[in-house]
Amino acid sequence: MASVLSVRDLAVGYGKEPLLEEISFEVPRGEVFAILGGSGCGKSTLLRTLVGLQEPLAGRVHFRGIGGPDKAMTPPRFGVLFQSAALLGSWTLLQNVLLPLRKWTDLPLDAATVVALARLRLVGLDQAAHQLPAEVSGGMKKRAGIARALALDPPILFLDEPSAGLDPVTAAGLDELIVTLARTLGVTIVLVSHELPSILRTTDQCIMLDRAAGGIIARGAPRELAERSPDPRVQAFFHRTTLPPS
Amino acid sequence: MPSPGFTLAQIIADDGSPRLVLAGSLTLADGGALWQQLRRALAQQSIAVCDVSAVSRLDGGAAALLQALAVERGRAGAPLRWLGASGEVGRMLALYDCARSGSCAPVEPPASTLLGDVGDFAHGAWRTTQAILAFLGDLVVGVLAALRRPRTVHTGELGVLFERAGADGLPIVMLINFLVGAILGLQGAIQLHRFGGDQFLANLVGLSVVRELGPLMTAILVTGRSGAAYAAELGTMTVNEEVDALRTLGQDPQRFLVFPRVLTLLCVVPLLTVVGDLLGSVGGLFVAMTYLDQPMVVYLQSLQQAVSLGDVGTGLLKSFVFGGTIALVSCQRGLATRGGADGVGRATTSAVVVVLFALVVLDGVFTWVFSLLDW
Ligand SMILES: Nc1ncnc2c1ncn2[C@@H]1O[C@H](COP(=O)(O)OP(=O)(O)O)[C@@H](O)[C@H]1O
Ligand SMILES: [Mg+2]
Repeated sequence: MASVLSVRDLAVGYGKEPLLEEISFEVPRGEVFAILGGSGCGKSTLLRTLVGLQEPLAGRVHFRGIGGPDKAMTPPRFGVLFQSAALLGSWTLLQNVLLPLRKWTDLPLDAATVVALARLRLVGLDQAAHQLPAEVSGGMKKRAGIARALALDPPILFLDEPSAGLDPVTAAGLDELIVTLARTLGVTIVLVSHELPSILRTTDQCIMLDRAAGGIIARGAPRELAERSPDPRVQAFFHRTTLPPS
Repeated sequence: MPSPGFTLAQIIADDGSPRLVLAGSLTLADGGALWQQLRRALAQQSIAVCDVSAVSRLDGGAAALLQALAVERGRAGAPLRWLGASGEVGRMLALYDCARSGSCAPVEPPASTLLGDVGDFAHGAWRTTQAILAFLGDLVVGVLAALRRPRTVHTGELGVLFERAGADGLPIVMLINFLVGAILGLQGAIQLHRFGGDQFLANLVGLSVVRELGPLMTAILVTGRSGAAYAAELGTMTVNEEVDALRTLGQDPQRFLVFPRVLTLLCVVPLLTVVGDLLGSVGGLFVAMTYLDQPMVVYLQSLQQAVSLGDVGTGLLKSFVFGGTIALVSCQRGLATRGGADGVGRATTSAVVVVLFALVVLDGVFTWVFSLLDW
């Protein structure tokens, strides 16, 4: 299948010094693609660069079929879940999801509310629709962030640690939603995750980043990597062990 | 507006019942038209089936609209069935079927009434007053306790706090007080000159500035600069649970955050006021020399005779209380912040408004008491 997102020799970071270099990968339409790696290795930074919130230090990000990062007065082409959820704190969860719908569709308020509530129902939050972000748990904020990212039916979703802070049952529900969106509805999903069960259940392809190596150290299907990769860093990640001192 | 990518028709099915037929591409971009047309068509109660077999594309938003209409009909006792939903269209309809994901119960927003809002406002004002007085009480108790163990008070930030409130505020305090002195001087000089009372300009400017305007203007400036900053800073910390985190680390927020700020303004506001008094008097001197052609010595001599050390003292006593009030109210408003970013905004506004109100009331009380005591 044609790839929706292709990344060539990308370097990302803050200031002059790149955090990660020579990042190249392709994401085919309708696949779940995971970015793995230890804390602080630059996963969120890479994601921010992919969605155009940060300029790449080198290389380029190319979207096929859906245009590049939005600059002009066109509706956003992708949904983004931030690591901190980044809900507007003075608005209820429903109002947060309504925001892009009111801006980019001609739906009357009652219809827009119907759509927003349906998105919240997808992540199991319709009964909390009128609560403020400060009044719900961290996992609920994350899920509301996903509902907001889904608001405009984007063809590609970027999720920064979607299942962090969720109980196993809710996390499984979220995994199921991700798989449904990708496999049956053709949404392309790029996610950052540390949750091994989620990764194994949802992900088609992944790359693993490493801070010290400053780039990609492994790529492939997660199950393959877990079973076959000779790299001790990959093995340590998938089998929850510490690295032997080098 | 471009025509929508879908069509909606009403036909009579083989069994003689009316039926809706949707065809084409149903997307959120055409959501408004879809919602309106479908609702209008469904106003006819007898329609129970909608054929979607000719729908080529259905996105999540459109599916949510279709399913919501079906639920609405079901609740009215006339259920609507989707016919011929297959492939991706069927899966999308299934994903947005609320029966699948639990409940279809409507979600009502919490109600609010006008009378209730008015009551809430009045109650809120009373609660704010109570909370500030309680905070003052806590502070006094806390100070007494801290006097016994001064090391428990966080002093590491005092340098920065003094610099921000004091040194950084000095230029604007100097400028504003100079201008106020000069404006007051000009207004006075025009009147005094008409009655040949040029030599009383120093009395007018000196006494007004030292007893009243210097302390008040300086306090207002400190409220805008430091009071607002304290409320916003402590408000943000409260919203981010940083204040709660301090508690769990064994740091009393009062000793860690409030004491240093109160101490800072208790010291800094009188100091700024001294400078403000000076610059205000210089403003008067400027007018005396330029507008009234008075020699500098004349103005300074009458200033010396008119303004006693006691006058400066009453002004400084005021400014000391003003400083404490600004810090106290701003910190209390900040720590009482609820909600998110808008809560911080409201706390900051509330701090400035309450402090300004308190300053004027206190100023009135001081003037009254001083007049009773003949100071
Ligand atoms: N705004 C910033 N300015 C400078 N450096 C930053 C900034 N944000 C993050 N960093 C650095 O980038 C590194 C990667 O951060 P991040 O992408 O958030 O990591 P993670 O892989 O955990 O998502 C961090 O170790 C941090 O040192
Ligand atoms: Mg991160």
